Amino acid sequence: MPKVDVDHSTSIEPISVRKVSKWKMLKRDKWLFLLLLPGLIWFLVFKYVPMWGALIAFKDYSPYLGFWASDWVGFTHFERLFQNPDFYRILKNTLILAFYETIFVFPAPIILALMLNEIRFTKYKRIIQTVIYIPNFMSWVIVASLSYVFLTTSGGAVNVIIESLTGQTFNFLSSPEWFRSMIIGQQIWKDAGFGTIIFLAALSGVSSEQYEAAIVDGAGRFRRMWHVTLPAIRNVIVILLILRMGNFLDQGFQQIYLMTNSLNRSVADVFDVYIYFSGITQGAFSHSTAVGLFKGVVGIILILSTRYIAKRLNQETLF
Amino acid sequence: MKKTSLGISLGLFVFLLAGCNNDSNSEANADADSNSDGGEERLSVSIMAPSFAAEPAGEDSPALQAIEEYTNTDIDLQFVANANYEDRFNVTLASGEFPEIMVANKEPSFINAARDGAFWDLTDHLDDYENLSQANEIVLNNTTIDGRIYGVYRARPLGRNGAAINKQWLDNLGLEMPETIEEFHEVLRAFTNDDPNQSGKDDTYGMVVSEWEGPWNTMQVWMGAPNQWGFDENNKLAPDFTFDEYREALVFFKELYDEGLVNEDFAVMDSGQWTEPLVNQEAGVFVDVLDAANRIQNQITEGYTEENQILDVFGAVEGPHGLHTLPTAGYAGMLAISKTAVETEEELKRVLQFLDDLNDEEVQNLAYIGVEGVHHEIVDGVLDITSQADGGTKFESEVSDLNQFQMAIPEENFMEQPQTALQEKAAALMEENMEFVVANPAEPLISPTYTERGQQLDNIIDDARIQYIVGQIDDAEFDAEIERWMGAGGTEYIAEINQAYEESQAAE
Repeated sequence: MPKVDVDHSTSIEPISVRKVSKWKMLKRDKWLFLLLLPGLIWFLVFKYVPMWGALIAFKDYSPYLGFWASDWVGFTHFERLFQNPDFYRILKNTLILAFYETIFVFPAPIILALMLNEIRFTKYKRIIQTVIYIPNFMSWVIVASLSYVFLTTSGGAVNVIIESLTGQTFNFLSSPEWFRSMIIGQQIWKDAGFGTIIFLAALSGVSSEQYEAAIVDGAGRFRRMWHVTLPAIRNVIVILLILRMGNFLDQGFQQIYLMTNSLNRSVADVFDVYIYFSGITQGAFSHSTAVGLFKGVVGIILILSTRYIAKRLNQETLF
Repeated sequence: MKKTSLGISLGLFVFLLAGCNNDSNSEANADADSNSDGGEERLSVSIMAPSFAAEPAGEDSPALQAIEEYTNTDIDLQFVANANYEDRFNVTLASGEFPEIMVANKEPSFINAARDGAFWDLTDHLDDYENLSQANEIVLNNTTIDGRIYGVYRARPLGRNGAAINKQWLDNLGLEMPETIEEFHEVLRAFTNDDPNQSGKDDTYGMVVSEWEGPWNTMQVWMGAPNQWGFDENNKLAPDFTFDEYREALVFFKELYDEGLVNEDFAVMDSGQWTEPLVNQEAGVFVDVLDAANRIQNQITEGYTEENQILDVFGAVEGPHGLHTLPTAGYAGMLAISKTAVETEEELKRVLQFLDDLNDEEVQNLAYIGVEGVHHEIVDGVLDITSQADGGTKFESEVSDLNQFQMAIPEENFMEQPQTALQEKAAALMEENMEFVVANPAEPLISPTYTERGQQLDNIIDDARIQYIVGQIDDAEFDAEIERWMGAGGTEYIAEINQAYEESQAAE
């Protein structure tokens, strides 16, 4: 065992790694590779093997006949998807919501973390942190019911206040105009607090010397935030943004499904809900798999392009 | 202490031994029997069925054991909460692990699976059984897929739709039970504006509707619209919303909404909260199944009598085109028999015999009211479901939902507690409704397009109707939504339904 340790310490130096052939490297670090094995197997069994199931997007899959006995149909399901008159509506709704999520929901925890970071009274900061984590542990069902109780036009607290101030009520729950704001608001309410954890962790790594130096240079609070704090967590932001891009088209089925009703469906139809209706309730497994694949392809394109842009901007990226 | 626990464990041990012994005995018996004439071996079936109770009856229920005894069958119940049933049904289809018997709804996934040969075609078998042979032809026809029967339906009264109305409010206002659509409109107006509960405050409204579209479907048939499909001037089948009567109904609904006679937030009201305004006596009318009135009345006053009965029921009101009402399909799902779990025709016959036996009076009684002396008492011919007292936990955990695999063919035949006046009236109205129900000529017909994207098609029109009622869209935009429906597959759907109809006519 000590031998392994010694080898390992040398392998950290990049030059020596390049000299050693791959086979030798494998032999030298065999224990390390053995340690890697469970993780690899996990990925193979649970992430890669099920991917073969995606092939049913090219079949006319019937659950009873099973995978092999179902007919191959080529791109029929994709054609049907693109020819569906609702496709562009769903795509548009999905993209708009995804865009709003990226520009409103994504920065929310960063701003919150920066604000928390400025609080110097530790006890107060701790209490605030604990309180803002709580919404994250509520399920969407509860968030949806709370929204209903607060926003309904028949006696909902928010509408009662608005009515007493302006004399009119707003149909937040059932008007297409309010749907997106409501969805974005719910997401910020639920997730922004918990999202601060990772940024606060990054912020705690910023050495106080830098701040002291900035103060000596005469930087005010906002100058310090702009020139010291933000650059320090820039890498974390970029990496999280790239990860976010991979899920760009994921709207979170539960939330949208729970908030959809007959009156706002025109803006609430997104891919995740469409997949549920066609796949689970109508049993069109092949078609919904095709939709899922389409989403996956868009996700990969977005990840790669964000990574490309980040690289051009000289940022560290994930891979 | 030690002694008692020893005693208990000894007792348990003996009990277990006895249990094992019993099992092996019965198995041995079954073996012996099957050797002797082959027809007597104990069948074992798994049944997948929806459940409504939080804790439906399980293996240890005396009622279930009595049913097993009567039918000479080991029953393994796989209950799935009704709300998730459709999802779980599809997942079960995909898993390939079929129970012998599944409650199936005529939904796309079941239709496809039946066409692929997942379930037994029962068309030529039902006549061989005493009860099943008496199944209602119309309902059987409604359950068919491509003209074949793939399951034994669970019967429901055809004329079940109607309305509950607050009788006390009617009396307070000196109004009669509404008989025409105009009177109905007047009653709703009075319930909203004329302080029917005499509280001196504006705290009531006419009718409560939830996000569930059922009440609109019922009321548009009152107004003369066809039941989903009707014949147009060329004698072709056309969907209901292409008819003028449907538009008349829409205008009427919009009036109700604009006058504030319907709860403003109905489009977002969870159907689980639908009855609350009626129970709290904020709303006075509730259009749903007729038997709902009794359940709601029980929520208002537990164990009510004629003195404190607040609700009354009516079947339908006469619209501008006469007296019509919406029937149910006459069944709620069917018991389909899997071909993977039941492999041979011999086994199929045995399973069908089991289904047939389930319709016997004895089994119906067990499934609906449990075991005499355990769950209910009969004193002088009057039934008292004793296990339903004190919250009914014993009834719930041992009897409830056992009726989910009951078919009630040829008819419901179990003992009932003395009926309240409300229940009797509801039952009488269901009979009466039968005379003017509007049948859906396309009920048994299947369209591939609808099978594939029915949900999206239905959503378009259901949404447009609600948008029209609340004033989000006008007539022109409603027409545009119909165009969108046509473009999304509706045109093919209509053509396919007409073709299927002609084929079925030619076959007869």
